Amino acid sequence: MVSLNFMLELRNVTKRFPGTIAVDNVSFSAHPGEITGYLGPNGSGKSTTMKMITGLIEMSSGEILFDGVPIRNDLLAYKRRMGYVPEEPYLYTHLSGLEYLAMVSQLRGLPAKPAANCINGLLRLFSLHGDRHSPISNYSKGMRQKVLLSAALLHNPDLILLDEPFSGLDVGTALVLRSLIQELAARGKVVLFSSHELETVERVSSRVVILHRGKIVADDSIEHLRTLMALPTLEDIFSQLAVEQDTAGISREIADLIGA
Amino acid sequence: MNNLQFRILYREFLFRMVDLELLSPQGDITKLLGQFAGLLIWISSGLLLGALFFDARRIPPNALMTVLWSQEHFLIATTMLVVGLFAVLSWESTFLNRRDVLVLAPLPIRARTMFLAKVASVATALSLTVVSLHTLAGVAWPVLVFSPANSGLLGMIRSLAAYWVTMLSAGAFIFCSVLGVQGLAAQLPRRLFLRLSAVLQMAAFCLVVSVYFLQPSLATPRALAAAQNQHALAWLPSYWFLGLFQALNGSMHPAMAPLARRACLGLALAIVGAGAAFLLSYFRTLRKIVEEPDIVAGVRGVNWLPRFGNSLETAVVQFSIRTLLRSRQHRVILAFYLGIGFALVSLLWKNGGPRRQADIPSIVSPIFSSIVMMTAWVVGTRVVFAMPLDLRANWMFRVTSVHRTPEYLAAIRRPLFVLSVGPVWLVSAAVFLSAWPWRPAVEHLVILGLWGTILAYVSLYGFHKIPFTCSYLPGKSKVNLMFIAAAGLLQAIGFGIASELRALHDPARYAELVVILGIAAVCCWWRTVALARAEESVVLFEEEESPAILGLGLFRDGALPTEAAAAPNPPAY
Repeated sequence: MVSLNFMLELRNVTKRFPGTIAVDNVSFSAHPGEITGYLGPNGSGKSTTMKMITGLIEMSSGEILFDGVPIRNDLLAYKRRMGYVPEEPYLYTHLSGLEYLAMVSQLRGLPAKPAANCINGLLRLFSLHGDRHSPISNYSKGMRQKVLLSAALLHNPDLILLDEPFSGLDVGTALVLRSLIQELAARGKVVLFSSHELETVERVSSRVVILHRGKIVADDSIEHLRTLMALPTLEDIFSQLAVEQDTAGISREIADLIGA
Repeated sequence: MNNLQFRILYREFLFRMVDLELLSPQGDITKLLGQFAGLLIWISSGLLLGALFFDARRIPPNALMTVLWSQEHFLIATTMLVVGLFAVLSWESTFLNRRDVLVLAPLPIRARTMFLAKVASVATALSLTVVSLHTLAGVAWPVLVFSPANSGLLGMIRSLAAYWVTMLSAGAFIFCSVLGVQGLAAQLPRRLFLRLSAVLQMAAFCLVVSVYFLQPSLATPRALAAAQNQHALAWLPSYWFLGLFQALNGSMHPAMAPLARRACLGLALAIVGAGAAFLLSYFRTLRKIVEEPDIVAGVRGVNWLPRFGNSLETAVVQFSIRTLLRSRQHRVILAFYLGIGFALVSLLWKNGGPRRQADIPSIVSPIFSSIVMMTAWVVGTRVVFAMPLDLRANWMFRVTSVHRTPEYLAAIRRPLFVLSVGPVWLVSAAVFLSAWPWRPAVEHLVILGLWGTILAYVSLYGFHKIPFTCSYLPGKSKVNLMFIAAAGLLQAIGFGIASELRALHDPARYAELVVILGIAAVCCWWRTVALARAEESVVLFEEEESPAILGLGLFRDGALPTEAAAAPNPPAY
């Protein structure tokens, strides 16, 4: 039986930037053993929310709780339990994959020997072992994504935040990651991930939170949303809730504009 | 060639002579370039003062020619030094980089347009450097001092023209020479070129600095005509351009004629050679750059580094060592500071070394050298620590910040000792213990260690940044004031060395000096650590702090802006 104490909870979280509100009064919770998909069109505030949950940027108002405690109360303890894969694979490209992961383990204060074993294992399982001494500048986007995933999982976090984790991954690795997310959730981790790949989200997630213009427009299980909106797929639900544009009309206009 | 494409590319390349990724998001590239120009104009105003206070009537007529030649040579050599340093520092931006090629190659732009835009931007930057350096001095010296006596207005105009032609030619010669070497190296396989390029850049830097400070003074008719000096003159381009200036100014001494000829020949060869090598390598580079990585693959052997304390300290120190070893731009900036130290040491050995002047004790030069190199190394390392690498990757340090701030600040202090104080002290120990009797050697090493410690703690005061991870905001530090501070530091070094010389012969004085330095070191340590332990201390990743008051960007009616008028996307990190 999984304890519900691990729950991640956002209460009325708002983030204002000069001249714009990126995230507007967002509240939802993510539970252990559950995979929460965080969806929204570009610029809807997904990555901003993720960065607030990681503590990279401060919220303007509201509260984020983990384990029932506001994360601001003890940010250091919270960060020890959190793993994060950012949207963009920014890495120190002058370091090798092995050096980068070793540095992350040292920064997290992990014991040297178990960390080294874990790093080796992750590099092997993600098929990076052969290139572990090459600088990251030589890595493909998919390889960089694997380094980010390894760095996020190295310390066995309780909360896993994945911002577009499938970006750049080949089919095989994407299937491994999909299965890995399910496995980690089954082992009681809180998993929150955002993605534009609605088919993957539909297969993996038990719940989805859909964001539009900084506000939540849906927060429910996919099954319940399907029944409620009488729509067969998550893509249809998403289109109905978060896509305002007439996609076919825009396509026609673009083709007309370029004189095709 | 499409003129519009050329203009757009030219402007883009010109403003990219400095690596924009170093800058804070709030940083302004024009401000940074303005700061460089301001520094050069400040140097120019110093040169101007020399011209304004130059009084030919006080100089004996038979010595006047030598004094004038020395001044002319000094100005030419300084121009070559500044342009040479500019050429070395802009080494990376001479060719299109991988991003340029990836962005521009799919567009319908001819390679010729890109090439010419790059050449034009480099030429503009070179001209601006020379013009900034001579803004004020370039009028005062030729008009007030160098124009031949009784030559009237025409003589002044001729002198002015001769001055500027000479300075621009000397600058072009040194720049084209550096470019030519780089272009020739680019003919090698790209992987080999990338490896060799870093070595060549450092070698060019050392050559430019050491020639400036170590070249002999030959600006007298007798020295120029002496047979034993002809070999040296053949290898010292600053004297060639002295000859060129004399020829153009209409005041040429016969001894200058071969030098003027050599200047013309050298300039022509440098321009043609650089043009050809650059052209060849440019089109070759365009093809190769996308295919091969910018960084040569690492080998297992250099991946190993020892532990440097706890895991956090180890992570920060190892990251700093690897960054300094692998980032060319950081190495060049450090080399600039080491070059200044090296130049001061060279000057002392050249002019006041033990072999030249018997009245100066033979221990002065080694003591001065070790103290100056320690100072240059510590200050240079501290400066490069403030310059970021892969700035957007610093999110990892923030996400993994699972320790308290004082622990981070303690970890931040360690790399400065490992990368500067430690190596200089160890090398000095090896040199002094092998060359001197053990007692004075140990006595000096104690003082050197204390001096390095004081300097490290002073330079780390208020430095709450993990090395290479915080953005750089140009215009924050007052470069002109730093020059004055450097002059003060030199005075302090001179005073310290005099004190040490007295103390090395007197045990009581030595004990007194060690106690004073020890107390100073403890005070500096305490002050730095106390600030680090203050509650408000945080590790900085952004030079510019977020404003205390957030502007909401409301319109006059109190409404938030509409989508169309909304501010751009929020910052990435």
